Amino acid sequence: MRMTDQKQRFAATRRQALKMLGITTAAGVFMPNLLGRPAFGATPPETPTGRIVVGFSQEPTVFNPLMPRIEVDDGVHFSLFDTLFRISPDGSFTPGLATEVPSIENGGISEDGLEWRVKLRDDVKWHDGEAFTAEDVKYTLELIVNPNFRSWRTTGHTLVRDITVVSPTEITWKMESAFAPYLSFLADTFIVPEHILGAAEDPNTAPFNNAPVGTGPFKWGSRTAGDHVELVANTDYFGDGPYIERLIYKYIPDLTVLYTQFKSGDIDIIGSQYITPDNYEEAKTLPGKVITTVSTATVESIYLNMERPQFKDLAVRQAIYAAIDKQTIIDALYYGLPTPTETYMPQESAYFNPDLPKQSYDVQKAKQLLDEAGWVAGAGGIREKDGVRLSFTNSTTSGNHLREQAQQFIQQSLAEVGIEMKISNLPPAVMWGEFWTQSQFDTAMVGVIFMIGADPDVTYRFHSEAIPVQGGRGANTGQYKNPEVDALLEEGGKTFDQEKRKAIYREVQAKIRADLPFLPLFQNMTVRGRDERIEGVEPNINTRIDTWNTGSYYWAS
Amino acid sequence: MAGYLFNRLWQSVVLLVIVSIIGFAVLNLTPGGPLSQFALTPGMTQEAMDRIAEQMGLNRPLPVQYLDWGWRLLQGDWGTSYRDGQPVLDVIGRHITATLLLMGTSTAFSIAIGTWIGIHGATRPYSIFDYTVTIGAMVALSIPTFWFGLVGIYIFTLELGWLPAGNMYTIGDGSVLNYLHHLIMPSLVLSLVNVAVWSRYMRTATLDVINQEFVKTARAKGLTERRVLMKHVVGNAMVPMITLAGMQLPSILGGALVTETVFTWPGMGRLFLDSLGYSDYPVVMGLLMVSAILVLLGSLIADLLVALVDPRIRVS
Amino acid sequence: MSALAIPAHTSWWRSRGVRRFARHRLAIIGLVMITLLTLACIVGPYLLPYDSLYIDLRARFAPPLTGYHFLGTDPLGRDVAARLLEAGRISLLVGFFAMLLSTMIGTLIGVVSGYYRGAVGATLMRIVDAFLSFPSIFLLLALAALLQPTPIMITIIIALTSWMEVARIVEAEVRSLRERDFVQASRMMGLSSAHIMFREILPNAIGPIIVAATLTVARAILLEAYVSFLGYGIQPPLPSWGNMLNGAQQYLSTAPWLAIIPGITITIAVTSFNFIGDGLRDALDVRSDHM
Repeated sequence: MRMTDQKQRFAATRRQALKMLGITTAAGVFMPNLLGRPAFGATPPETPTGRIVVGFSQEPTVFNPLMPRIEVDDGVHFSLFDTLFRISPDGSFTPGLATEVPSIENGGISEDGLEWRVKLRDDVKWHDGEAFTAEDVKYTLELIVNPNFRSWRTTGHTLVRDITVVSPTEITWKMESAFAPYLSFLADTFIVPEHILGAAEDPNTAPFNNAPVGTGPFKWGSRTAGDHVELVANTDYFGDGPYIERLIYKYIPDLTVLYTQFKSGDIDIIGSQYITPDNYEEAKTLPGKVITTVSTATVESIYLNMERPQFKDLAVRQAIYAAIDKQTIIDALYYGLPTPTETYMPQESAYFNPDLPKQSYDVQKAKQLLDEAGWVAGAGGIREKDGVRLSFTNSTTSGNHLREQAQQFIQQSLAEVGIEMKISNLPPAVMWGEFWTQSQFDTAMVGVIFMIGADPDVTYRFHSEAIPVQGGRGANTGQYKNPEVDALLEEGGKTFDQEKRKAIYREVQAKIRADLPFLPLFQNMTVRGRDERIEGVEPNINTRIDTWNTGSYYWAS
Repeated sequence: MAGYLFNRLWQSVVLLVIVSIIGFAVLNLTPGGPLSQFALTPGMTQEAMDRIAEQMGLNRPLPVQYLDWGWRLLQGDWGTSYRDGQPVLDVIGRHITATLLLMGTSTAFSIAIGTWIGIHGATRPYSIFDYTVTIGAMVALSIPTFWFGLVGIYIFTLELGWLPAGNMYTIGDGSVLNYLHHLIMPSLVLSLVNVAVWSRYMRTATLDVINQEFVKTARAKGLTERRVLMKHVVGNAMVPMITLAGMQLPSILGGALVTETVFTWPGMGRLFLDSLGYSDYPVVMGLLMVSAILVLLGSLIADLLVALVDPRIRVS
Repeated sequence: MSALAIPAHTSWWRSRGVRRFARHRLAIIGLVMITLLTLACIVGPYLLPYDSLYIDLRARFAPPLTGYHFLGTDPLGRDVAARLLEAGRISLLVGFFAMLLSTMIGTLIGVVSGYYRGAVGATLMRIVDAFLSFPSIFLLLALAALLQPTPIMITIIIALTSWMEVARIVEAEVRSLRERDFVQASRMMGLSSAHIMFREILPNAIGPIIVAATLTVARAILLEAYVSFLGYGIQPPLPSWGNMLNGAQQYLSTAPWLAIIPGITITIAVTSFNFIGDGLRDALDVRSDHM
């Protein structure tokens, strides 16, 4: 039974991978050996065998999956916990703790999107042997919005009302208003045990937070802070796997050392932040390693602060965009790895709009645009109009070498058209503090994942009521305002029909591309590597981290 | 003696308070803060960020935050790491061993080599050896430690492949040999400066002692040069070195910080940089306090030792 | 500290001539090296056919001594030699002005706390001790993270974290001078405290200050390198010796010259200042247990 599932799963995986391969090669990126060796003959062992060491360049430190967390924390949570349903690499949902994914078709969600019903598995046990029930789900959803609990995102959860445990395997709730993206938020919400956290005096400081108990394929082993986290196989796991005895997440704070340790075999899988592009060529030649390039949902762009007088003029935004030699940046600085893009949406997404106009590097056009709009050369060759100089500062995280190089290259390109770009980079804690959230920057070079899982909703990034510095509650830090986009986003948020949503979000992308509130550069491509004997590793563009299916990892014997 | 001790302790407490105020002010006036790491999270809104800030008590006025921190500290509560959610003292405790291992190895090595070089040079003043070492020490003091580490990695890891480029041990191999293998390069790099400092001081101290009357007397008594050296010179020359060891602590600690960065050594230095990056202020404050306490303790112990060893000082 | 200062340095007289000569030879070497380096940094950028900021992606990672780039090129194809000299201007200026500023702060605090021995002096010296009791790199990094890392700010930050040595030296010197006859005489003449401090006492302490100042330049250049290496210092595209090394670790296997060349330059500059300081110490007959 399990074997058949396994085969089908792999077949599906290969199809998806081939699909991705098609997409990326079409975009002109050579993508060798995506699947590593052909999987024939390789079957997972009967009992969990061996140990896999995954290297991370940031340290996972948050083990309560409901508390504020970063990517690498997610990486560990996926191994320890489960969600009601999971998001697949192709963007579809598959059941996790729930027996089916609720939809309007199967009656899990009412026609108006307000009533939700989720059926749960009855064969799931917590790592301590207690049975998992609907009470745990109820507790989790309530804890997230508990004002005394320091929870992470609450988007969507705050709309949930009247949670009712119908039976140990069934739970229902009502939504205050229809919110289609909630499925994606739930797919990113790990369920925690009520009998442990609920019994704790203060869930913020419960012992659980440092010795988590989940339902996932691996149980908590031990942690050496500043060094590694060790997990052990949960042989009672209800799903696929686990096939390895011990899983270790090793923290190596330097990407160069991370790569060196991967080369030497000290780590078996190179995790987030992966192999730096400059080592790609060399990595491909390493014996006994599988090196793949994997597209991520991160879109690298130049964010413009739309309230700055220079950027109020569309011609200026268009001219800057035309003056950027995207392809050279990609080819020379990023070793040809990333894919140029015109939108915030990853090209793998079903919502991606492929018909957007393509930017091309054209200095003459940039000059012409500015000339026609009345921006003429002033002091020092810098253009100006009505007393506004075409000069601005660009900021990013200091220490991000590739980005700093791209920045300096763009600076030189813009100077040729009479635009002055000054560079002022800040340490991460400063850059992404009020400087970013309260729109104190002129322009920022930034890599953003706009998607929440596979959901295309970007209300919090582009709606005019989401501007923090203007009292909004979202993250529209570029201060972009377009009533048409607002209306579309509101419509999309409460539409459950996939085809209708596609139309809406393609329209959103077209409008944003025309307005250019941010200048899209490219969609990131990461270089990943693993020991060639490891099977079951599968990238997932819809999760923030690649270790989302560690239960399926195994050593080919 | 008791009065002296009391006085020193009291002064140390005042110092710690000043250190904590400087540290707290510098950190908390920094724009940005611990929430910045979530700013780019998909789906994260300003609303959620404001709520988290409120829950973490980041919205309170700074003096209130400082007094709260200080009051808790007096009760033995060093606060909780923003990033880790664990008590600050635990977090530091887990990193301090690695730093002490690195500092200890390096200091032991530097003292051994530095003492030998110093005495050897002082007994042969202005010999070729002495010149070479004097010049060598000055050059060593001028090399940026981190760069020396980079050159080390280039030669011994990338070119020769003899030593690991970083980390304290290989996962799954907890043997002493493995630790030693990883320890060699960082501790030698950290020792570079220390050997230079130590040997120069030792040379001066030995030269001072060697020409004093009691040494001449000892020589006149017909003791062998070696015996004079071992019995009278070295012992006396070591006295000021104890003070030096105390004074050197901050710079060894600072050196360890930079060395740890280059060699990804899981110690306090790396913890400091990580915590600074995350704006994990409770941990940064804790580290400032711990290093200040270490330094004050170091110099206090050194002074007490000197007082015990050298009767002349006791008067003051 | 005091224990080290006890020595009878008359006993060194015998070899003093030899010693002085040797020391001065080093100091002269240092002086020549730093003069050449400074001249190169001033004139060099005008002589080289490359702009230190000019990016040429076709020419990236050219190794030294191949083609037209004498010291090779960096990841953006900029000429390393041009950048090195341009960076030298910035690093040397940062070092020099940080020295000026920290010497002024240190001297002021040292003189005041040495002259007023009561509560004022004690408080000031406690503050000095407080600054000395945590590694300056901690304070330096925390400050650099707080402020905009422009060259001027970095200079100020370095000065703020390196004035304590000077303060200590001056304080000790002033404390020993204030009981001398000429100071007593000035006091009886009814001269103001400020006058006595800065006109009567300070000139007599100028030797140690000059020595300490020279060594501070060396230290400031090193500190700039540390901070910039860790990414908190002077920001690109402006080159500094320190930030040329930032990121070099990444290219250690493919482009080692990016790490080696700036490192050697820093070492040469710092060594030169240390040699000069050492020579000055001898020439000005300054007794000091500091290096």
